[in-house]
Amino acid sequence: MFNMFAKRCVLMLGMLLGLMVITFLISHVTPGDPAALAAGPDATEEMIERIRVERGFDKPMIQQFAIYVGGVVTGDLGTSIHTTRDVLDDILTFFPATFELVVFSIFVAILLGIPLGVIAAVKQNSWLDNLIRIISSSGVGLPMFWLGLMLQLYFGLQLGWFPLGGRLELMTDPPTTITGLYTIDALLTLNFPVFFEALQHILLPAVTLCFPALASIIRVNRAEMLETLALDYITNARAQGIGVFRIVALYALKNSILPTLALIGLRFGWMLGGTVLVESVFDWPGIGLYTVQAATASDFEPVMASTLVLGAWFMLANFIIDILYGWMDPRVLKKA
Amino acid sequence: MSFYRKYLKNGLKVGLSVVAVGGSVLVWNAGKSAAFERVDGEKILVVAGRQSVETLDPSIKYNASIRTMQQALYDGLVKYEGSPANVVPWLAQSWESNADGTRWTFTLNSKAKFHNGDPVTAEAVNYSFARTLELGKGPSWMLADFLKPEGIRVVDEKTIEFNLEKPYAAFLSFLPWWYVMNPAQVEANAVEGDRGQKWLTSNAAGSGPYMLKRFEQGRLYELTRVKDYWHQDASKSNIGGVIYKLVRETSAQRAALMKGEADIVLNLSPDEFKQVQKAKGIVTSTEPALTSFGLKFNTQGKHMADRNLRKAVAHAFDYNALVTLFNGNAVLQTSPFTDDIKGKISVPAIPRQDFAKAKDYLSKSAFPDGGIELEYVYVQGFEVTRQMGLVLLDNLKKLNINLKLVPLTWPNIVARGSKPETAADITAIFTTPVSTDPDAVAYQYHPKSWGRYYGVHFYDNAKVKGLIEQARFTTKWEDRAPLYEEIQKIIVDDQPEIFGMMRNRQVAYRDYVKGFSYSPVRMTTEIDLYGLRIE
Repeated sequence: MFNMFAKRCVLMLGMLLGLMVITFLISHVTPGDPAALAAGPDATEEMIERIRVERGFDKPMIQQFAIYVGGVVTGDLGTSIHTTRDVLDDILTFFPATFELVVFSIFVAILLGIPLGVIAAVKQNSWLDNLIRIISSSGVGLPMFWLGLMLQLYFGLQLGWFPLGGRLELMTDPPTTITGLYTIDALLTLNFPVFFEALQHILLPAVTLCFPALASIIRVNRAEMLETLALDYITNARAQGIGVFRIVALYALKNSILPTLALIGLRFGWMLGGTVLVESVFDWPGIGLYTVQAATASDFEPVMASTLVLGAWFMLANFIIDILYGWMDPRVLKKA
Repeated sequence: MSFYRKYLKNGLKVGLSVVAVGGSVLVWNAGKSAAFERVDGEKILVVAGRQSVETLDPSIKYNASIRTMQQALYDGLVKYEGSPANVVPWLAQSWESNADGTRWTFTLNSKAKFHNGDPVTAEAVNYSFARTLELGKGPSWMLADFLKPEGIRVVDEKTIEFNLEKPYAAFLSFLPWWYVMNPAQVEANAVEGDRGQKWLTSNAAGSGPYMLKRFEQGRLYELTRVKDYWHQDASKSNIGGVIYKLVRETSAQRAALMKGEADIVLNLSPDEFKQVQKAKGIVTSTEPALTSFGLKFNTQGKHMADRNLRKAVAHAFDYNALVTLFNGNAVLQTSPFTDDIKGKISVPAIPRQDFAKAKDYLSKSAFPDGGIELEYVYVQGFEVTRQMGLVLLDNLKKLNINLKLVPLTWPNIVARGSKPETAADITAIFTTPVSTDPDAVAYQYHPKSWGRYYGVHFYDNAKVKGLIEQARFTTKWEDRAPLYEEIQKIIVDDQPEIFGMMRNRQVAYRDYVKGFSYSPVRMTTEIDLYGLRIE
């Protein structure tokens, strides 16, 4: 276990360094003069040059990279041209919002996806199976942007059940910051009105975001369960008169869950980086929107920092999945 | 099997109960959405805008959303008001200039005070102007060629003098963009010699009609109305404050307005605007703006250097489509100068669609039979400019000219437009002048504007250059007016672009919102929060 942990840590550091190199190179070879953009549309040559020197854009690229890596190591992620603030402050402002949304979404996707996948497999070819398959197919096919707008218009505008966007009502003060996740912080501080308000705000964006993941989890879990349920040891268990629930929940599910776990890890990373559409529709002040805005403004430092943070979380999520893999299947640990 | 069913049934019962209880709490909680917000019995206006406010520092940056905030938090020596836009006294109650326009003396209003109670003094004005000029960002370009910090002199506590290095007729027209900061507050919060830049990003040190209450980057910005605002018209508003919140999608903006989650929405798409115009309880305003849209030709490029080709393309274009795309909420340009620019004339020879003339000009060009491909660059994702490109593509087919539509991000458009060698044949550009003085537009056709986004035409005419320089250094309007008339006629004749249209400023708001003051010089989605009220 320790060996696996150590190997993974070294691998993660290498990957992060690689990520830094790639994002730095991509940012610096794309056309566009960040100094000119920072100076504004009417800026004179002198104003642009002043910003170029101020921001170190006039230095050779290798020197700029060394400064960047040095900054990352000491916790200085630079300054955003777009927001004119420290990138670290921006990341700390925007990342918790995205993280909360993604964790909530993946939680909903797991909570619904695994049971639905199991039910679809147990009830193969029944009307229930067909219904679940329709849900999973539409989850893969429906554009997230469109789904978000439809949910917003129907449940928000038409029925008035949910707010149209944001993390809290305009006049509500956020709960005392502990984790930066409003639902969790509100619970930890026993601030139940804010908890319900935060829950109400996160529900529509989370449902929108979780839909593709939910669909994939259902499909993979159903397929794996069908395969497992056809194996001899399940037939044997049935022959011994063991209850269906026990067979399904304890014997079949545990053995068929591994591909679903791997999928959850991948989906988690994908969601972290791909929340921009949902954030845009629901005005969720998250890191996806922040990164896209920075990218379209040739604002390198926030783009590099966001990529680094998202990459690190993606790796961490997969690391946790690997640990769970080992726990579910001890053969993996032995190999490691 | 019965064992499984039992578990399933119980599970479903528990699940449904949880969903029912949770759903009831959430739905009950949701009924709270009302029209405007209220805090301690005071009405708070909610403005939904798509553009974030990156900084509040008046020396660093300006755009429509930033200006909306800065105009509320700070005061300038003078302010733009009314339509046509007039420069009216604000912090300065009066001013005078010498005969050649190189010395300007302003007398400050003695009632003016900062939010912390400090009086607004000539020293504060000196500090603010010098800070902006020395930091060399934001509005500094407007005066940097004419005014140096050493040229500003404090005459006495309420009198400030600006000594320009050379006469500049447009000087006064740029002053509404220069705000006065409280030096004591700024310097008290300066770190590592940054002259308070970091602090002023999300804090304010002004004397304006509103004070900053909350600055939540990427979410909302809340202002509280200053009840004892020093300006004489302070009593005309009855609101407690304003929240500018970010709603980035135009359909979400519309939904927020309809549901009452927002009282004013800015920058709706033409179609969304059309929809809210029909809605009950919603008022829309459509007013002319200074922003113009043009298709800039690269006059030093391989194709568009040919004046006859430029004329041919300009006469082939369907101008009415520009108005149709905005559902009628746009006006065609009749000059390179937009309508509210002082000294603007309607140039009779400005082209309209005429294929006979287009073919005639083409026959005189280096490409008499067409057979060429022109590159049309527009902002990626900006649907209206893509549609304009499609209109032009269709029009040019009749001249046997192919148009290649190239969507680019804004940074890439700016980068490509920096040199004639890389600029596209045609670039779709919206331009907003920041002053009603004709120099603000005329200078876009001066070689010093090359490389900037509005100078992507690389227009070079020695006579026009001379006239622009002569006009900006001439102080008497009677002498300037004929110069600008000639400039407009020559530019139209040279056709460095298709002079397109002026898109109207469109604002949609709930019918209880009153007190909108309109002035064309403001940026397209900028609003003046001063004087807004709820009735």
